[in-house]
Amino acid sequence: MTIPSTHLLVQTIILGILVGGVYALMSSGLTLIFGVMRVINVAHGAFLIFGAYCTYWLFRLTGLDPLISIVFTAPILFVLGWAVQRYILSRIENPERNSVLFTFALAVTMEGLMGTFWKTTLRSVRPEYASEVIEIATYRIPITRLAGFVAALLVLLILYLILQRTNLGRAIRATIQDRSAAQLVGVNVQMVSALTFGIGIATAAAGGSLLSMIYSFNASSQIDWITRVLTVIVLGGMGSLPGAFVAALILGVTEQLTAVTITLYWSPIVFYIFLFITLIVRPQGLMGEVVREKA
Amino acid sequence: MKRLLSFKSLWLWIAFLALLIFPLVQRSQYYQHVMIMTMMAAVLSSSWNILGGYAGYTSLGHAAFFGLGGYLVALAHNHFGWHPFISTWFLGLIVIGVALIFGWISLRAHGSAFVVVTIAMVFIFRLVALNLASITNGARGLTQDRPGWGGVYWSPEFIKVPFHYIMLALLCLTIFASWRIRQSKFGLGLIAIREDEGKAEAVGIDTMLYKVLAFGISAYFMAVAGGIYSYFFTYIDPMFIFDIFTGVTMVLIAILGGRGTLWGPVLGAFIMEPLGNWVIGTFGGTQIHLTVFGGILLAVMLFMPQGILPALTDIIKQRQRAGESMAQP
Repeated sequence: MTIPSTHLLVQTIILGILVGGVYALMSSGLTLIFGVMRVINVAHGAFLIFGAYCTYWLFRLTGLDPLISIVFTAPILFVLGWAVQRYILSRIENPERNSVLFTFALAVTMEGLMGTFWKTTLRSVRPEYASEVIEIATYRIPITRLAGFVAALLVLLILYLILQRTNLGRAIRATIQDRSAAQLVGVNVQMVSALTFGIGIATAAAGGSLLSMIYSFNASSQIDWITRVLTVIVLGGMGSLPGAFVAALILGVTEQLTAVTITLYWSPIVFYIFLFITLIVRPQGLMGEVVREKA
Repeated sequence: MKRLLSFKSLWLWIAFLALLIFPLVQRSQYYQHVMIMTMMAAVLSSSWNILGGYAGYTSLGHAAFFGLGGYLVALAHNHFGWHPFISTWFLGLIVIGVALIFGWISLRAHGSAFVVVTIAMVFIFRLVALNLASITNGARGLTQDRPGWGGVYWSPEFIKVPFHYIMLALLCLTIFASWRIRQSKFGLGLIAIREDEGKAEAVGIDTMLYKVLAFGISAYFMAVAGGIYSYFFTYIDPMFIFDIFTGVTMVLIAILGGRGTLWGPVLGAFIMEPLGNWVIGTFGGTQIHLTVFGGILLAVMLFMPQGILPALTDIIKQRQRAGESMAQP
């Protein structure tokens, strides 16, 4: 273990916050889906990677900027997510109990398909500005990370506005609070579920675009990403958006600090340790209610 | 004794005898290999079933104990010269200890959250194996001496035979344990937990103790299998042995055959494992393999959520009922 200088420490925390913003975006859809449906979508990581691949091919074939490509990939994945919920997920028996296994099977299937078509080569999207760095008061900030952070905040803002200002948003929040009561006052819970799933997957598309720019990925990276975003929502409190945001920042900073003070190889373990500690000490997470599911 | 000779058990005796003479009749190295892996899959899945089937707690992370068993046996073989065929049964007990600790932590979570924790468990084990390079040799993995006994190496033509019989012995032990648990008050408690944990607790079952014990027991047979496996291949590495896919495969096999039944996991293994080998042999590569496994799991959960064995039993019962009503018009 090495104690870093103050300068390095601040630099690391800045990077951690930037990464945390992207984690927040990636996990927002997952926590939203859980809130509405009480379903943990383990295929979220696979959708992230699918979004990243869409961005990659758009960039390779047309040279489209990865940030702008969100405008195209998000609607595609929205429709995909809506269809998955409407036609497949809604049909399984006892969803609260079986959904994890089912979405895990979906993730494995998607990983297999993506691996078959696009092989195992590690990909990443490198736009022209990829290696540029901004220097603010001697702190170096890679421009892709900054752009990723800003884009993440923008998408989260849009999500917030949808939830707070539209009728769909009101219906979603009502369903999160009390499913049967929402149904009683005339909310079409089935439709809300499918649309929420679509929105959740659309945020995964945006997250995937940012991922493709900052990290390299292939089909089997989905498992790394799903463990990260799952930890974020468990720590934040499953179903809570503000909780996920705070948890994402905490985890982003902690991960970067571990990478600097111990070694890069141990930094992923931060997520798993957080996951275990959260479940022992505070199973409801930072901002969630106690999840009393029937096991 | 009477039950051991009944008509139903006749088929079991035939199957057992077939497995007993299999390596003597079938001399093909390939089929002998597939049979060993099939029996191993049946062990893993039956073992998983004790927690996942009887108690209803879906763990996707039991591959962690499979891998831990493999590492302990390989280390004991390399450092102390302990023969894996003997040491694996004892080192499995250490794995139970580790499993009890992890069970005690992770079983605080219920339902979906529990599944998530068990996924993380595999990755913790893998990261530790990767990073404790001074003990585990890190990503380069551990190599063992070629299999043999008393200083004599087994010849390539003979080498699968001892592995066949030790795996068969483990399979019998696992099924026997699973059967005994199902018959016992302990097994009844586990099923009560699956049906309604709150009520089970209300009628005086120490649910936490029962769950943790089931977690530990189901880790034991996996650890023993992992030990045999590491000696069989004489090489293990963290990426391969702590694989989340190993965990998914045993769950798929149990669900396909019939989760929570005694013979379902065994039946599932004898369907899935040969099929998996055929897919890899025909199409090659792991990626198509993933799609096929994932696709089958999706299909089973959508169209036959209870599994083959319970579905078959239902059909037979209906036939019988139909037969009875025909007999008494």
